[in-house]
Amino acid sequence: MQALEERDYFTDYEILKDPYAFFEAVRSHGPVYQPPGRDYLIVTGFAETLEVLKNSADFSAIIGVQGASAPLPFEPSGSDISEQVEAHRDRILGGDLLVNYDDDLHTKTRALLNRLFTPSRLKANERFIDEYSDEIARQMIARGGCELMRDVATPFVTLVIADLLGVPADDRQHFMNVIDAAPPPGSLNTEENDFRGENHPLTVMGGFFARYILERRANPREDILNEFAHSTYPDGSVPELEELVKMAAFLFGAGQDTSAKLLGNSIRYITDQPGLQDQLRADPSLIPQLLEEVLRLEGSTKQTARLARRDTRIGDRAVPAGTKILVALSAANRDGERWEEPNAFALNRPKIKEHLAFGRGKHVCAGAPLARVEVRIILEKFLAYTSNIDLDEAKHGPRGNRDLNYDPSFIVRGLTELHVKFTPAEGVDLSQASSQAETAQ
Amino acid sequence: MPDLIVIDRDGNETTVPSPSDRTVMEVIRDAGFDDMLALCGGCCSCATCHVFVDPAQADLLPAISADETDLLDTSNHRTEYSRLSCQIQLTESLSGLRVTLAPDD
Repeated sequence: MQALEERDYFTDYEILKDPYAFFEAVRSHGPVYQPPGRDYLIVTGFAETLEVLKNSADFSAIIGVQGASAPLPFEPSGSDISEQVEAHRDRILGGDLLVNYDDDLHTKTRALLNRLFTPSRLKANERFIDEYSDEIARQMIARGGCELMRDVATPFVTLVIADLLGVPADDRQHFMNVIDAAPPPGSLNTEENDFRGENHPLTVMGGFFARYILERRANPREDILNEFAHSTYPDGSVPELEELVKMAAFLFGAGQDTSAKLLGNSIRYITDQPGLQDQLRADPSLIPQLLEEVLRLEGSTKQTARLARRDTRIGDRAVPAGTKILVALSAANRDGERWEEPNAFALNRPKIKEHLAFGRGKHVCAGAPLARVEVRIILEKFLAYTSNIDLDEAKHGPRGNRDLNYDPSFIVRGLTELHVKFTPAEGVDLSQASSQAETAQ
Repeated sequence: MPDLIVIDRDGNETTVPSPSDRTVMEVIRDAGFDDMLALCGGCCSCATCHVFVDPAQADLLPAISADETDLLDTSNHRTEYSRLSCQIQLTESLSGLRVTLAPDD
């Protein structure tokens, strides 16, 4: 039988179920390893992952979207392939997206994004998040249960980012439908990983965002999209419309999926860790700690990728220019060199916020502050209005032997469905659901 | 190209030439100072790019925002010369700015 670490991470549905076991098998060969028959390295060490993410001079983000296994459209040659990378940027999946940018282009484009999710902006949006999550939690608990991903997570995060950006109410459902109908980012079915189709969410939403931005350039309004439409690069120059459109659409798509999955993964830990939900109900100020530990153990992004563009090193290993690298964020977050009892769930780990679930360095997730706020608030509601939350055993089997399905993606770690049952807390009037969600529509 | 002078936690002083239109955090990060975590990447959402600016230069800097001051309050090491380096644009007129990396919180 083929050893686990020799199986294909990018297409194997068994690895999809338990990527952590796969990465542990890889780690048994050291923190940086090239499995037999593969043309990429897998980095599982925490220190080594940090080294790669921080060394943006030697490691390009150009293959972040397509992943380490997809072929390059050129044959790397020499000790510095920076020029080759740039010459082929438009032929690499996502080469025109911020997440894959390098150097100055990345820094100045990222500067536009850095102004969007500041604490004061999120605070201004918190009332909407609070009202909407209150409404949705009461509704679902009154019903006795729900399919959390479809009924709660996806509409919740979509409406939050839509409200924050200022996407018109009429377009929100359409966006959700388009995203829902599309394959997951980083599909295990390689043929689906093409962004150019006219039905791809980035293409469809791009059309809408172009209109929103043009409308605001003509007639300013009071929302984030307005600020975005009138934003300038740090040197004062005005970004092309296309750049803003791509970024807004990507933000919407990326923010949607990974935050929704974080809510699902959090609820699973809350239901499966003995005593945890009561502890959180007794002291809701522990919820941020819970989120950080879920991010560490089961963050929504399993991995990213880099391409060595110059001869370089990771630790003491020489890495020639042209080497593709699978950067296993989820494995770095379970590295025993960095974390005590790395596979155990624990609240209050020292320096927990230094986990790599959001990445690190210049490409670190810009939406992290939003994800933390929105998932915290909705978890507070679900815990406050229930005395017990459990998974539906008829659908998922008993605790300790759950049957769960994950979206077929090599990037995202996210439950496809999570059937949840609620026991309402005593004395909570769930009928108080106000009409705020309707205002939100 | 403006220069930034960085004093790390061991007291070593390094002069880093920078392209214009970068933030002080970006200059420090891209120069590879491991002491600086800069966890949020410049969104003004954490306090891990905390620096002390040279008292003689503090008045040259743009005013501190409400968000920045709230975040600095979460640090145990805040002084009157504390700033979040992601909020300081290193313009030509600030060339020669001296900053000291604040201790870990």
